[in-house]
Amino acid sequence: MPERVETDGETRYRFLGVEATRREAVALALGVVALFAVPDVTRLSDSLQLGVIHQGLLFGFAAVGLNLLLRHTKLTSFGHAAFFGTGAYATAVLAKYAGLQSVGLLLLGAIAAATVMAALIGALSLRHTGLYFALLTLAFGQLLYAIALGQSALGGSDGMPIRPGPANQPLLLGTTFEPAVYQILTYYLTVAVILVGLFVMYRITQSPFRNALDAIGQERTRARFIGLPVRRYVWAAFVISGVYGGVAGGLYAVVRQYVRPEGTLFFLRSGDILFMAILGGFRTLVGPLIGGVVLIFLQDVGQDVTQYYEFLTGVVLLVLVYGFPRGIVGSFRSGGVVSERLGQLRREPSAVADWARSAVRTTERKAVESLSSLRIILFGVD
Amino acid sequence: MAGTLETALVQTLNGVQFGFILFMIASGLTVILGILDVLNLAHGELFSIGAYAGIGVFGFVIGVVGPPSGVLGGVVFVLAVLVSVLLTAALLLPVGTAFEALFLRAIYDRDQVYQLVLTFALLLILLDVKKFVWGNTSLRTDAVYSAINSIPTSELVGLNYPTYNVFVILVGVAVVAGLFWFFDRTKTGRIVRATAIDREMATAIGVSTDRVFTLVFALGAFLAGFAGAMAVPPTAATLGMGTNPLVLSFVVIVIGGLGSLRGAFVGALLVGVIRSWMITLYPPGEIAAPFAIMALILLVKPEGLFGTWGETA
Amino acid sequence: MLEARNLRKSFGELVATDDVSLEFGREDGELVFIVGPNGAGKTTFVNLLTGFLSPDEGSIVLDGDDITAMSANERVDAGIARSFQVVKVFEEMTVRENLRTVVLTERGKTWSLFSMADGHDDVERTVDDLLSKFRLDDAADTVAEELPHGDRKLLDVAMSFGLDPDYLLLDEPTSGVSTREKEYVIETVVEVGREAGVTTVTIEHDMDIVTEYADRVVALHQGAVHGVGPPTMLETDDELRRLLLGVGE
Repeated sequence: MPERVETDGETRYRFLGVEATRREAVALALGVVALFAVPDVTRLSDSLQLGVIHQGLLFGFAAVGLNLLLRHTKLTSFGHAAFFGTGAYATAVLAKYAGLQSVGLLLLGAIAAATVMAALIGALSLRHTGLYFALLTLAFGQLLYAIALGQSALGGSDGMPIRPGPANQPLLLGTTFEPAVYQILTYYLTVAVILVGLFVMYRITQSPFRNALDAIGQERTRARFIGLPVRRYVWAAFVISGVYGGVAGGLYAVVRQYVRPEGTLFFLRSGDILFMAILGGFRTLVGPLIGGVVLIFLQDVGQDVTQYYEFLTGVVLLVLVYGFPRGIVGSFRSGGVVSERLGQLRREPSAVADWARSAVRTTERKAVESLSSLRIILFGVD
Repeated sequence: MAGTLETALVQTLNGVQFGFILFMIASGLTVILGILDVLNLAHGELFSIGAYAGIGVFGFVIGVVGPPSGVLGGVVFVLAVLVSVLLTAALLLPVGTAFEALFLRAIYDRDQVYQLVLTFALLLILLDVKKFVWGNTSLRTDAVYSAINSIPTSELVGLNYPTYNVFVILVGVAVVAGLFWFFDRTKTGRIVRATAIDREMATAIGVSTDRVFTLVFALGAFLAGFAGAMAVPPTAATLGMGTNPLVLSFVVIVIGGLGSLRGAFVGALLVGVIRSWMITLYPPGEIAAPFAIMALILLVKPEGLFGTWGETA
Repeated sequence: MLEARNLRKSFGELVATDDVSLEFGREDGELVFIVGPNGAGKTTFVNLLTGFLSPDEGSIVLDGDDITAMSANERVDAGIARSFQVVKVFEEMTVRENLRTVVLTERGKTWSLFSMADGHDDVERTVDDLLSKFRLDDAADTVAEELPHGDRKLLDVAMSFGLDPDYLLLDEPTSGVSTREKEYVIETVVEVGREAGVTTVTIEHDMDIVTEYADRVVALHQGAVHGVGPPTMLETDDELRRLLLGVGE
């Protein structure tokens, strides 16, 4: 049962190694309830589809893995789709060529494949940091995409189905189900995997390993000089993050029963995964997961509304970078834009007028500055 | 015997031509990376906008000049094409300038991840801008390709090689020479290099790093647009044409070395030629070969063939 | 004993370390100061000893074993720790977290993925001990990048000390620190080092400090060893005085 712990005048509850304030614990509980309630909610509403939310959770889960690298070792990987895609394609290949039918075995295969892939790509990339690292991960991701696209054994641009066995459906606990039921059951499987995965990630972020990763991310040289074999740790983190991607990809294949290169390996997908982490808030644990659901949902809505949904995504990204750099979850935490503003409002309701005035002034100033820069560049006049 | 020799020569020339185009794209990317510390993910889109816009400009200029006839007509036509390409590239100047001055500059001192997100956002926006302006189907401009090919060049030495490709190679050589001259001999070029090597020092001697950055980014955009206009006549402009050159440019930069112009040149030609040979000898190798070389360099000489001008991290 | 044997290091035309042979730690806990004008190659020498740079020629020997090929992190395991002239600490962590990270690493606990970082009692005790030894108790929960300069310097040294080294190489631990705090910093370093029997090699510019605390002084000039001797050497060696006091100081 949860035990109470008092630290610095704040009451926290500790359960299975997870420590949270009352507020956080309530939010957590609500979140878990919401996750389990999704199939019922989507049945009632037309605009919310189980498939869309499910997909969002899967990509968000991959983003949670990516976040280990991003938040702690401060490495931006632009090739995470490589692991998602490896997991997805491994599942397809095992279903088609190895005749594996059980969901459990297929997922294990996905994990194994993603681990190997992450170990390989990691080994080649981890001597580098920053932009070079991002560049390399993007390049390797595209290489995998090109391979999947080009190999007829992998289905080429048409992709591959996952329809093993006489029932054309992977076996859950040894049985097949009606498609609608299958979707719901695989959803609950995903929820279970996500909860376990989040718990594991949480424990990792409370562990000494995380201290080492933070050290490497904040001051790499110093990390070496306190005795950390930096590359080995980065490699380990890379592999762990890849496993999350692979699991997500494997589940994706099992759920959708079809994989294509575009949706799983293309670098725009890698960008999406990174984007999810930032949209949700990369300084938080669950942020990337929420970012995943929100992004996939927005893209789904966007695609219905206009054919220019990439443009919309781009604009959202701009708003994010300039207005809400801490992402959805991050902005509500202390120090984030939303929580700061709310705090201000509570203290001084009239602050709204001040904000409006300063916003107008800043926009004016920026416009003038930019125009003069443009003028100088184009005409050389000072 | 002569047949295979001729094929080998043609393939190599094709590779060289592709290499020059690739150099134009990669050089902008590597210079922006070396000096601004920015990985411009939208660079491939700038290239493809050059291609799309180039078609329009070509159409207009060809309409004015008319097809080449005789020696003088031929010279005039070639000049007209060159002018079109330059005009197209110039169109990309305000795009690059605006993006750097209005968007990038604000986030230089922030976490590096935001810069990647920003150029990625530009990529997405440009994708749909292209869709909006030019639509979903691919565009062609056969007129330029066939017109230039009608001018005899390689035929004069008994080789049946498209004159347009010769044209690209010659222009490519001029661009390479021009870039090296700019960075080695001109004052502005040397100031730019100095800023790459030591930003603080450069500021101390009175250089406006702001202006240098904007200039470099605009130059990169110019080169990308130039490459797009040069590359489009033999093929077509498609919405997705920017991705492959972007990724290949990455490979070139890794092979040649971050920020190194010389490296980009060697890397681009290497990738271009090897890719070309693969297409004839072993088609699946076309994609894999550049990456294989990249992986080899990463293992054996991680800083690239030529390292960097400035300091390595 | 930590020995440098005929170390040579050049950067292009510049010879930063010129055939340097020195030994440290013949007696446990000795306090050696490295002095010399700017550009004498003091930091390069420390960089060579700690594995930040590789020598062009020569070798580094620790207790009879040639460690020239050892990587920086391996040398830390072997007992050589250093601090930096421009402070390198983990900026986003608090002082306590910085020290905790160091001790966790030193105890080999950083591969643990599932234990609590703050849950190892032995580590926490050592961290508390370091905090009090280096008088950083009050700043324990301050984030490193918000610390005043003197405390940052102390933290850097405390972290190196937390590695339980046999040899502590400090690069100008009092630079940029106010005169009042200099005494504080160097006294703490000396006290802690002596008590633990750690051989401490310190690069220092303040001659008063050197004269007061040194067991031995090593003078470098233009990459080469100018002289080695007791602190009185600073008064008797006229050429050395000219070099140190006349050039740049």
